[in-house]
Amino acid sequence: MPMLDIKNLTLEIDTPMGWVSALDKVSLSIEPSEIRALVGESGSGKSLIVKSIVGAIPERWRVTADRMNWKGNDLLGMSASQRRAITRNDISVILQNASASLDPSATLREQIEESIPAHRLSKGWFWQRKQQRLDIAIQELHRVGIRDHNQCLSSYVHQLPEDICQKFSIAMALISRPKLLIADNPTVGMETTTKVQILKLLTRLNKTAGLSVLFVSHDLLAIAAMANTMTVLYCGQTVESGKMSQIKRRPLHPYTQALLDSAPSFRRDLPPKSPLSCLDGTIPTLQHLPIGCRLGPRCPRAQRECVKMPITRRIHGHEYACHFPLHRGKA
Amino acid sequence: MLIAIGRRLNLLIITLFILCLGSYVLAFLFPGDTLTNLSGTPPLSADQSHQLQLMYALSEGWFSGFWTYLKLTLSGDWGVSLNSQTPVFDDILYLLPASLELSLYAMVISLLVGLPLGVLAGLKHRTYTDLGILSVSLAGFSFPVFWLSLLLILIFALQLGYLPMSGRISLLYDIPYHTGFILIDILQSDVAVKDAALKDALRHLVLPTLSLSIVTTALVIRLIRRSVVTVYSSDFIKAAYTKGLSHSQVFWRHGMKNALLPIMPQLAMQFTVLLTNAMIVEVIFSWPGIGEWLIQAIYQRDYPAIRGGMLAVSAIVVTFTISVDLIVRILYPLNKRQFYAQA
Repeated sequence: MPMLDIKNLTLEIDTPMGWVSALDKVSLSIEPSEIRALVGESGSGKSLIVKSIVGAIPERWRVTADRMNWKGNDLLGMSASQRRAITRNDISVILQNASASLDPSATLREQIEESIPAHRLSKGWFWQRKQQRLDIAIQELHRVGIRDHNQCLSSYVHQLPEDICQKFSIAMALISRPKLLIADNPTVGMETTTKVQILKLLTRLNKTAGLSVLFVSHDLLAIAAMANTMTVLYCGQTVESGKMSQIKRRPLHPYTQALLDSAPSFRRDLPPKSPLSCLDGTIPTLQHLPIGCRLGPRCPRAQRECVKMPITRRIHGHEYACHFPLHRGKA
Repeated sequence: MLIAIGRRLNLLIITLFILCLGSYVLAFLFPGDTLTNLSGTPPLSADQSHQLQLMYALSEGWFSGFWTYLKLTLSGDWGVSLNSQTPVFDDILYLLPASLELSLYAMVISLLVGLPLGVLAGLKHRTYTDLGILSVSLAGFSFPVFWLSLLLILIFALQLGYLPMSGRISLLYDIPYHTGFILIDILQSDVAVKDAALKDALRHLVLPTLSLSIVTTALVIRLIRRSVVTVYSSDFIKAAYTKGLSHSQVFWRHGMKNALLPIMPQLAMQFTVLLTNAMIVEVIFSWPGIGEWLIQAIYQRDYPAIRGGMLAVSAIVVTFTISVDLIVRILYPLNKRQFYAQA
């Protein structure tokens, strides 16, 4: 049974043009101790999925889903306090923009100690617990590679560089010993050595502690290196999902193909000095969403049928939503 | 941090210096004899005139004249009032507490009412609660103070007769002057009818405080609402929710602090608006404060009093604003840039 099971998640935003679905029937599931990558270009709604999973979206937006289960319990139906308990103990999130997601008016020590759940503290008097909290915080900071813990803990956000803030956010997310870590672009802008360290840490935790990771990123190389499964998102719709190896070898959806082609390191057959391929145009804005398959206007294989949303088909655990998939005979 | 404090103190001293300079120049610009404008005593004889000339060092050039004036001002010799021939500085010290008392209570009331309403409107952004509070505050904001006070007098004092319309306390009670704050004076005094006097003073306070605080409350509501809306749409509030904190935990630990601290200087700025409005209200309610005194002085062309009153009120406003700014800077960890007043 999947740990997190989302089926047809739709998120609607009230705009002056009426209700617009920023996420349109997105499906996503995460098995225990798997690393699932969530890929898509900017504006495809990756961060919105992350925020809807933990419920950090404004109340006036409409979230509906056929199924949004955490270990069999319906997240949308449960009470606010039950849901909070799950986000507090089982799910951790690293949001994009590490420095903006830390409180500017509190020291980092106050913030990291706030995220230590009660189950990590052994029973004791409150002054003993205070020391315990500090010890746990320091230990966790060392784990993500912050050596100067005293300076980090006594600082405010604006006094630290962005990459320290990012590492700090990762430490803060891992401190509750979550079952699922949702990492929204955790390594963006880091230099390569640090990035590799962080990716190694996540992989190690996945192997040793059975941590599941939902890894949201643009970085195809990092994803190819660590993820087991991958979900490709375009403009709020899931276009393809399946095992990493399957998708890499034989993408079925034209968008996935374009995405993989745009990363030159995946293409062994690329002759030197040949032009890099990419899809023409840009991702449509929320005000001008095409009907049917939203890739339609940019898709090289689009035909008349594409104005209707294709149903999701499934072959050997490999799901895709396309009327005219690649490698599937001549349509 | 030291640089920030130094900058604010520098600003304070220079502003006060310029105020003194302005008040000195006023004495020359006012119609009439400069010496009379400075000292407040019309010279009766040539001998007296010569003595005043020496005292203000007017014949030794404008620089040493101003230097002498500065020394006199700092030592509290602000001349005497043309009308009553009492020292201006003593008058101001005597009357200032009444104005401060009125403004202080009005400020407290505006904060007590405005803070919860503003926060509520901010949290319920774009709902009917928010719109309701916003329209009420817009209405309160749009009333002119003098019209509102006259209206309140008309309704509550004249029509209904619930409340007295002028003064601080009924003439029946003879409260000795200690601090100038009427409520404190009553509590300290040993008059026989303390409770009745206190009740009477409070009844006198209601209408002026109300007419003063309505406008400020409206301003406070709008300021706080905007700030709460901004903070609640920021990333770190979402991040706090993703940590699994409850609404009240997020509100108290992250929301309030970040919403209130940055607007503290603006809230304190309302006190100066209040002090200005208090002058108008004092005239209407015959409240024996510095505003009424200053406006009487203007009517009677009492130049030393105008000069002194202007200096005192502006010095208070400047000092208050800068000290609040400084306190907030000490409490609130801002960007380094903002210490240098670049942003």
